[in-house]
Amino acid sequence: MRLAYWMYEGTAHHGVGRIANSMRGVHAVFHAPQGDDYVTTIFTMLERTPGFPAMTTSVVSGTDLARGTIRLPETLRQVEASKNPDLIVVVASCSTILLQENLEIAARSSGVGCDVIVFDANPYRMAETRAADGLFTELVRRYAAPQALTPRPSVNILGPSSLGFHARHDLIALRRMLRVLGVEVNVVAPWGASIDDLRRLPAAWVTIAPYRELGRLAAEHLQAQFGVPALCEAPIGVQPTLRWLHALVEHLNQVGPRAAGSGFAPVTLPPLTAFSLDGMSAPSNVPWFARTADMESFSGKTAFVFGDATHTVGVVRFLADELGMPIVGAGTYLLKEADWVREQLQGYVSDEQFLATDEFQQVAARLAALRPELVCGTQMERHTARRYDLNCMVIAPPTHIENHLLAYRPFLGFDGADVIADEVYTTCTLGMEKHLIDLFGDAGLEEEVKAPAGNGALAPPVEVAEPVTHPAPSPAANGGAVAVAPAPAPTVVAPVWTHEAEAMLKKVPFFVRGRVRANVEKYARERGHAEITADVLLAAKEALGA
Amino acid sequence: MPPKASFTREDGLYHSFCGLVSVGWLYQKIKDSFFLILGTHTCAHLLQNTLGVMIFARPRFAVSLLEEGDLSSAQPHIADQIEEIKREHRPSVIFLLSSCTPEVMKVEFEGLAHSVSTPEVPVLFVPASGLDYTFAQSEDSVLQALLPFCPVAPPDDRRVVFLGSVNDAIADDFTLEAARLGIPVAGFLPANHFHELPPIGRGTVIAPLQPFLPRVANQLVNERECTVLSSLFPFGPDGCRAFWEDLAAEFGLKVDLSEREARAWERIRPHTDLLRGKKVFFAADTLLELPLARFLRAAGAEVLECSTPYINRRFHNRELQALEGVRLVEQANFERQLRSIAEERPDLVISNIITANPLIGRGVVAKWGTEFIFSPIHGWAGVNTLANLCTRALRRHAQLDPLGLDPVWTAGVMPSLPGEVIPLTRS
Repeated sequence: MRLAYWMYEGTAHHGVGRIANSMRGVHAVFHAPQGDDYVTTIFTMLERTPGFPAMTTSVVSGTDLARGTIRLPETLRQVEASKNPDLIVVVASCSTILLQENLEIAARSSGVGCDVIVFDANPYRMAETRAADGLFTELVRRYAAPQALTPRPSVNILGPSSLGFHARHDLIALRRMLRVLGVEVNVVAPWGASIDDLRRLPAAWVTIAPYRELGRLAAEHLQAQFGVPALCEAPIGVQPTLRWLHALVEHLNQVGPRAAGSGFAPVTLPPLTAFSLDGMSAPSNVPWFARTADMESFSGKTAFVFGDATHTVGVVRFLADELGMPIVGAGTYLLKEADWVREQLQGYVSDEQFLATDEFQQVAARLAALRPELVCGTQMERHTARRYDLNCMVIAPPTHIENHLLAYRPFLGFDGADVIADEVYTTCTLGMEKHLIDLFGDAGLEEEVKAPAGNGALAPPVEVAEPVTHPAPSPAANGGAVAVAPAPAPTVVAPVWTHEAEAMLKKVPFFVRGRVRANVEKYARERGHAEITADVLLAAKEALGA
Repeated sequence: MPPKASFTREDGLYHSFCGLVSVGWLYQKIKDSFFLILGTHTCAHLLQNTLGVMIFARPRFAVSLLEEGDLSSAQPHIADQIEEIKREHRPSVIFLLSSCTPEVMKVEFEGLAHSVSTPEVPVLFVPASGLDYTFAQSEDSVLQALLPFCPVAPPDDRRVVFLGSVNDAIADDFTLEAARLGIPVAGFLPANHFHELPPIGRGTVIAPLQPFLPRVANQLVNERECTVLSSLFPFGPDGCRAFWEDLAAEFGLKVDLSEREARAWERIRPHTDLLRGKKVFFAADTLLELPLARFLRAAGAEVLECSTPYINRRFHNRELQALEGVRLVEQANFERQLRSIAEERPDLVISNIITANPLIGRGVVAKWGTEFIFSPIHGWAGVNTLANLCTRALRRHAQLDPLGLDPVWTAGVMPSLPGEVIPLTRS
């Protein structure tokens, strides 16, 4: 047992709800105490749903348990009468699963006419991601039926889902690229798919499944069972998108003769400008942007990336390969994907720089120790970064309402590359201005600007908060006692600043002063200096380039 | 005895949260407390999603996480966590809250709390499991746990104790108002700090500020033999007048607040003008529904239905009398409510955070009722806030152009919706 303040992943029944709320004619029924209904709020508030999410809590009360009443059959009848779904998915909750009831029998006794699946989502063995992917894969296995391929080139898009990270936007980006290629979309699932759509999946020439977390297993099933090739890479960044397009075209042209016969005209890549929004410009501005003098002042800015599997890998590579940023650490909270993520990031981060944990305090401690110039994380890292005055952008779920913006903000494809690069640029402390301030001091900004640059300044004040638990604030703030175990710095002394050194520190521009202070103290501790004198400060600045 | 108010009870298939959400305001109210929930991933996920913003403000609550390996042990081991909490948060009192899973496991909570409790830092068991408690109800459990720590007042100590957590500004209002009327105040239950609990004895008059505390009120009568004020709850001009006049009467003071009430109504006239004749439907779950419906009715609205999770005939007696003739429903069935809303076409639905957006999507003007719990709507000073909250959605929707009801503007927002939202109330 451990103390938990916050979780990266939602529960298993939340994962089931995400699939139900993605699909048409599918309804989830939670055999659970009333409180488990809270997951409905996540959809209605974060996604601002104009309809009722397709989920119902079949309430289990203490009185029911005492009397041996099971209300599930009646709930199923009510759901069928009011929603008329094609399929009802029943799941137990963390409490009712301990009752060892036979929900299959209870469901059958309801006499409802639609399909009913009792999905075995043991909440002690799986969380949101695995439950969602597990259910979706089961549905594809159950309903996908053998059939002829579509006459024209077509793909399935598997993975976009309710509460998927920027899923709606990614779907637009994918559809845009497919339209340019002249490739039809056979089925998108689970987003907007019906059970009938799942039956039609094997008619596609290729299946696209860009997310490691959802849809890949279903795509692999379609490949193994029906011979539909699966393209499981995530086109995050310009180069990966180009490779992805080539791979897609290759797959399509392999299937083509089988599907369309001898009259098949191979799919070809049009001029890349065709992928731009106006059809006549660069499909992405990233390659030029990265080479501009403006971006040169970005070089050397360090980044730390933490999130799910897909986005952690995609963003690390993008930052390193396409923006030239040094990666000082990366990791994932999806422990079951940690090995894959580590392998994908070979050559980008070392084993010591890699972090696999589902405890946000460990990530916070790492951030406090590294003080990267850019943090890419979840909404929890956003909060941690705010606490430590670090610049942060959110690149993976779980999200905050601030991540559910209205404008088109994909992460995939050429459009996505531009979106991510813009986000990096506006999140980081800028380049040229910074040089001027570095040169001449604080430029009078100290009085008027209290908030750090970057996203932190946009934060509503209610959220500016103290740390949740123990992540050590900068050593200066608590006398140098580092309370967190994973922080790598050995803590032998708590260095004291002399007046002279303190006065010198004051000349460092205010917005980097915290980082310089922390770095110098770390330097002093590592070398056993109990006192930070002007000499130590100078030596540290030389050693650290601070 | 007044005639028994009639209400119907349905099957409880409505949308709501469990009692753990009370932690969201209680930990802030009792400033030297810590709330430890013995629960699962689900409890933690509930708290971070429903109390999202607050969770980062160094919360003094956490979940002692039951994982698969813990399910088989007879009694969970929480001593280490209690130590960790004491070390990091230095609370004066720790509340140990139950949740559904340990209830099903039949964890013996009284014994568990006792085993880690010390005279310096008591650990108090609070029943809050979603199997038995909904929304604001677990504040009732917390106050019951605190009661033994209220000093016993001598029998001749005739003062009022206000019951229910309110913020400092509201507490000041009530203290000042009592002084103005000559009513002596012993304090508030809960107080801001564990060691400031008010003395309660035979002479104490308990004045309930929140309508979701019937069990602790009952316990106060049984254990301390004090008097519990039976009046309206102090919401709205009508509620405040009845509350203060009845409370004064308990102290042998005869006061007439009719002018005060009239002035308060006058102040919110722009709101009551808007509410007059409007049809209001309550499909909410905060347990504030009865007094809110009573206020809206007094303000001139027609209350089509007032549903609430639980009705207590004794504790809500006066509110029920004032609501006579209104359709009252306990443990509502939400699908039935949707049908009623479609038929009766209310001008305003007081709903909750779970259902507000989908109701609005159907063309209903819906108010997120949870906001009433988090807003200072008590007493004379709260009248304006209360009126404002009741009319805000009406005003806002009237201000927006009617284009918003065309389904084209919600197309594609929600993947599970067929192309079009089917409006409930549009002809």
